[in-house]
Amino acid sequence: MFAHLLSVMIFLPIVAGLILLFAPLSRTTARIVGFGVSLAVLVLSIDVYAGFTATGKLEFVEYIPWIPSLGIAYHLGIDGISLFILMASAVLLPMVYVLFGTREKGYYANLLLVEGAMIGAVCAADLVLFYVFWEVMLLPVFFMLGLYGGPRKIPATLKITLYTIAGSLLMLAALAYLAVQYHALTGEWSFSIEKMGLLDLSGHAAALALFGFMIAFAIKIPLFPFHTWLPDAYTEAPTATTFVLSAIMAKIGVYGVIRVVMPAFEMEFARYALFFAYAGVIGMMYCGLTAIAQKDYKRLLAFSSASHMGIIAVGVFSMNVQALTGTIYQIVAHATSTGVLFLFAGILEERTRTRSINDLGGIASQAPIFALFFAIAMLASVGLPGTSGFIGEFLIILGALKFNVAIGVLTGLSLIIGVCYMLWLFQRVFFEKSKTASERFKDLSPVESLAFVPVILLILVMGIYPHPFLRKIEPSTAQYFAAATPVVAQATTVTPALAADLTTEKN
Amino acid sequence: MIHDYLVLSVILFCLGVVGVFARRNFFTVFMSVELMLNASNLAFIAFARLQQNMDGHVLALLIMAVAAAEAALALAVVILLHKQTGKLDTNVFSLLKG
Amino acid sequence: MEHSTFYLGMIPLYPLLGAVCIGLFHVLTCKRWQVPPLVYGLLACVGPAMSFFLALRVFFELRALPLDARFFTYKAFTWFSVGDLHLDMGFLADPLSGLMLLFVTFIGTLIHVYSIGYMSGDKSYAKFFAYMNLFLGSMLILVLGDSPVVMFVGWEGVGLCSYLLISYYSEDRDNVLAGNKAFIVNRIGDLGFVLGMGFLFWAIGSHGFDFLSLKANAHMMTESSILIVCLLLFVGATGKSAQIPLYVWLPDAMAGPTPVSALIHAATMVTAGVYMVARFSFLYVEVAAAGMIVAWIGILTALLAAIFGMFQDDIKKVLAYSTVSQLGYMFAGVGVTAYSAGIFHVFTHAFFKALLFLGAGAVIYVLHHEQNIWKMGGLKKKMPITYCTMLIGALALAGCPPFAGFFSKDEILYSALANGHFFIWLIGVLVAAMTAYYTFRMIFVVFHGQPRDQQAYDHAHEAPLVMTVPLIILAIGALFAGFYNLPAIFGGEQMISHWLAPSVADQHPHDSFLLEFFVIATSVAAFAFGLWVAYKRFGKGAEEPVFTGFARFAYHKFYVDELYDAVFVRPYKAIGAEISEGVEPNMTDAPVTGIARLYMRVGTLVKVLQSGYVRVYAIYMVLGLGIMSFILSQSLN
Repeated sequence: MFAHLLSVMIFLPIVAGLILLFAPLSRTTARIVGFGVSLAVLVLSIDVYAGFTATGKLEFVEYIPWIPSLGIAYHLGIDGISLFILMASAVLLPMVYVLFGTREKGYYANLLLVEGAMIGAVCAADLVLFYVFWEVMLLPVFFMLGLYGGPRKIPATLKITLYTIAGSLLMLAALAYLAVQYHALTGEWSFSIEKMGLLDLSGHAAALALFGFMIAFAIKIPLFPFHTWLPDAYTEAPTATTFVLSAIMAKIGVYGVIRVVMPAFEMEFARYALFFAYAGVIGMMYCGLTAIAQKDYKRLLAFSSASHMGIIAVGVFSMNVQALTGTIYQIVAHATSTGVLFLFAGILEERTRTRSINDLGGIASQAPIFALFFAIAMLASVGLPGTSGFIGEFLIILGALKFNVAIGVLTGLSLIIGVCYMLWLFQRVFFEKSKTASERFKDLSPVESLAFVPVILLILVMGIYPHPFLRKIEPSTAQYFAAATPVVAQATTVTPALAADLTTEKN
Repeated sequence: MIHDYLVLSVILFCLGVVGVFARRNFFTVFMSVELMLNASNLAFIAFARLQQNMDGHVLALLIMAVAAAEAALALAVVILLHKQTGKLDTNVFSLLKG
Repeated sequence: MEHSTFYLGMIPLYPLLGAVCIGLFHVLTCKRWQVPPLVYGLLACVGPAMSFFLALRVFFELRALPLDARFFTYKAFTWFSVGDLHLDMGFLADPLSGLMLLFVTFIGTLIHVYSIGYMSGDKSYAKFFAYMNLFLGSMLILVLGDSPVVMFVGWEGVGLCSYLLISYYSEDRDNVLAGNKAFIVNRIGDLGFVLGMGFLFWAIGSHGFDFLSLKANAHMMTESSILIVCLLLFVGATGKSAQIPLYVWLPDAMAGPTPVSALIHAATMVTAGVYMVARFSFLYVEVAAAGMIVAWIGILTALLAAIFGMFQDDIKKVLAYSTVSQLGYMFAGVGVTAYSAGIFHVFTHAFFKALLFLGAGAVIYVLHHEQNIWKMGGLKKKMPITYCTMLIGALALAGCPPFAGFFSKDEILYSALANGHFFIWLIGVLVAAMTAYYTFRMIFVVFHGQPRDQQAYDHAHEAPLVMTVPLIILAIGALFAGFYNLPAIFGGEQMISHWLAPSVADQHPHDSFLLEFFVIATSVAAFAFGLWVAYKRFGKGAEEPVFTGFARFAYHKFYVDELYDAVFVRPYKAIGAEISEGVEPNMTDAPVTGIARLYMRVGTLVKVLQSGYVRVYAIYMVLGLGIMSFILSQSLN
């Protein structure tokens, strides 16, 4: 449509958000402006999606030198991996404005800010720029959680903020290390993420830097055992913030691992991949088991979200094209299922004024449409075939099985663990007899239903006909394992060769 | 020769330090600070004389200018504080107490 | 070719579209006006009926093809393709799926028709039919899927629909729990299926992951990997087809409306496991150990379920355990590499089990949802059509010649013995006697003797036509379905075995007239013995027995449910609670809160220094300067 599409997508919401923040407007105006801007971003993102040609290289590149002496540049671009995270944030954000109409002006403004920052983080092709957006992302969350959160918002805010900042500092140090190494190798300064792929770092210092990055990303994802900020933050945050955190922001942590860590630390990454994969699997089981004991449905969903992120992480660390593609797919699937479940939880909380599972019951008969949509999102989150969740989960399990049989089998357990708590939740909230809190539960209004319909359709379409989506992802992920430029070539030396094991000729 | 000047400067500086430590009246504390500044001025001038160049003079003049600016600001602050509480005792103002 | 096979894709699509249409129609109209339930009922019957006609077309087209190329496929679209994994949303019609299609759609349609009558008083009529259509559609995907993954879509789909339909009366917690149980237990099996697919893919999947390529490349796998894949897939089958140790969900699944039970037990769902093993027969024949495990699990399940079935007092539970038991037979059949015998039993079983369930449903319907057989009795006179049809079903189930069940069961037993599995045959005969016993126990108690609940008896009447007609049709099926595979000893030509031969890797034993005669004789004797005992005990009316000793133990199903509860469910919940309340705050989160607390403690210690007096800060400053100067002067020296 026009040049600098990505910049517009980043700065339109940021500028609009800042104006909203400072201009004396009513909350209705703020909501309308917010909706309009997020819709505009959605339109632009569709344009990007349509124009994306899936070459496996960066597209829509913008390059403006920023600090030339250090090789820092305002460098944007997207590939199949970032495209889908970008799409997820662009598609999902407008829903929030439709669904939640009684919030403060600052709430709507901060949502725009966070959208801009998230798009910036996934579009950044320069490490410093990435870092800047990464940090900016946290600010609106800090304010939304701290200002508009639930009763125990202050401890939750402090925890998430301190946690992420601690991670960010480690990342900053590791990032500087990368640039210095690059300078030592080539004699020029650069922070370009692409060029970091030329590095092949190994040794103790590299391992330290790897862990610097990994801790930062592990906190954001969150990977076991760095998840402890999550239940508090997800539970106390206002719905839209929880939604943003779980649906998109967590994915940017995964994105960071794929984009920054994997190409730069081939050797060290392959060496520690099994360790991280175990962290993912343990996190999946740990959070999944914890979920069943929750009495607060928002907290249950929080743990469920963390549990699924464990699976997504396993996909990254399994280091083969099926698992990595599955991861990207699962990122979108998770955003449209578990993320959307948080929106349902928000509606539930708004209408029943309770977050306790024990106070609810029989909603399915009061509100069939609400129950239907919730059920579809829930089934996608437990990975039922025919929904988007299955494709991603299946690919991840398949890839994990190749990487390491034990990891594969444990990953498969998520099939069981997921349904246990989800069915329990569904039984207690939607089935059984009505309780006083849910007795007069109002079904979704036509407008609200309409807001959910696109996402619900997306869940189904992505489950039934995933090929067009995967076609856009696969060239980028395949490049990581391509024979000519093997980003993770050494991975094969570290992983056991399962396939050879299974197919030795008989006789 | 220079030794005597330095001893005097040190004595003056120590007087100033003790004044800051021990006195509680704003103005006395303030005067003690000025005393310290002037003690250092004395040392600068003495060294300038010893080295036979103007560097020390430059610094001395700079310190005087800073002292004047500081006096103007600090006195304004003291007046404001006095207006609020009616006291000139430094111990009254201990908001930073942990 | 592409064009002419297009209708293959329509077979599962019709019921699925039916489900979507009913759902949308209901959502759009439910707020404004009352749609007569009959509309939904008829709408729901259209999809299955269309599928049935297409299934007929598939059958005839297959028959027209030469024997060595008797299959055709339809690829709707590329499903997904990542790396060397290529999957099409493709459907495969071959003799095996063609046969399954025929009776699944036929019986499915009949059950839909029957449901119009059975569900007539229900308030969420539309929802019920939408689920039923979805159920049938999923089953058809399962049957037609041309790769394990497409099959898995249907595989999980039927699991979901069973969950939805079992917890259909969702106000009652027990029903929902039964639904949860079904879904979760199925999921445990599905895990096996998924892992099996994973291993299979990494072994030979890169050469094409559809059944035809897999079959062609199976020889490349090592024996041990075939065994792993077979066993993992069989775990899936035990979940779906209710075998030891995952059979526990099926009896509880009786919580749903009776047509659902009929659909689950006869046409869809539980037969999927047997079908899957037959589908993968090219793997199972390679490793004898895999087949043996399947056969033994099957026959032991048959025995266990038959024992439970003898002591149930809920009419539907009797039938449920009989299904588990019959499924055990089928697995025994496919386990001893008599795949066509196993599928033949699936085929006949579908008729008489649907018949029995629908008959039981009619009884329950007229008695206003009374399911305890000890509250029934003497219904023979009030419900003659139901009685006659159910009697036919019972004879077929019990294996009385010449009803359908006799021939299929006989073939399994014969194959077991002829292939040298003496103990499997022996247990099979024992189970046959037990089957005759518990089936006729049910028939005698429900229909013969004196009414036990006079008031209910007086209100009883024959079920409406829309329910009895399907019963009659199914009864005809239960009578004659067995003749399709008449063995040579009766002058038949084993049509079904020959039909299935291109699809399944049967290993035919040498025909031995004497052996076959012996097997038939023992089977008939077993049937007669079971019938005689049942008649002696219950033929002239009997009171509800009080169970003691072993009977009591069996009445409580060997306390397996309680055992699972104690070994799996409770620890699972306890671990969850322990992590949530113990581990999370005290261990995982401890470092984080610990750091925060450390800061606090150091802060409290250090805050003494912060007196707030300007003078004191000045002292610190001077002290600091002094120390710095001292160090500086030291280092200069």
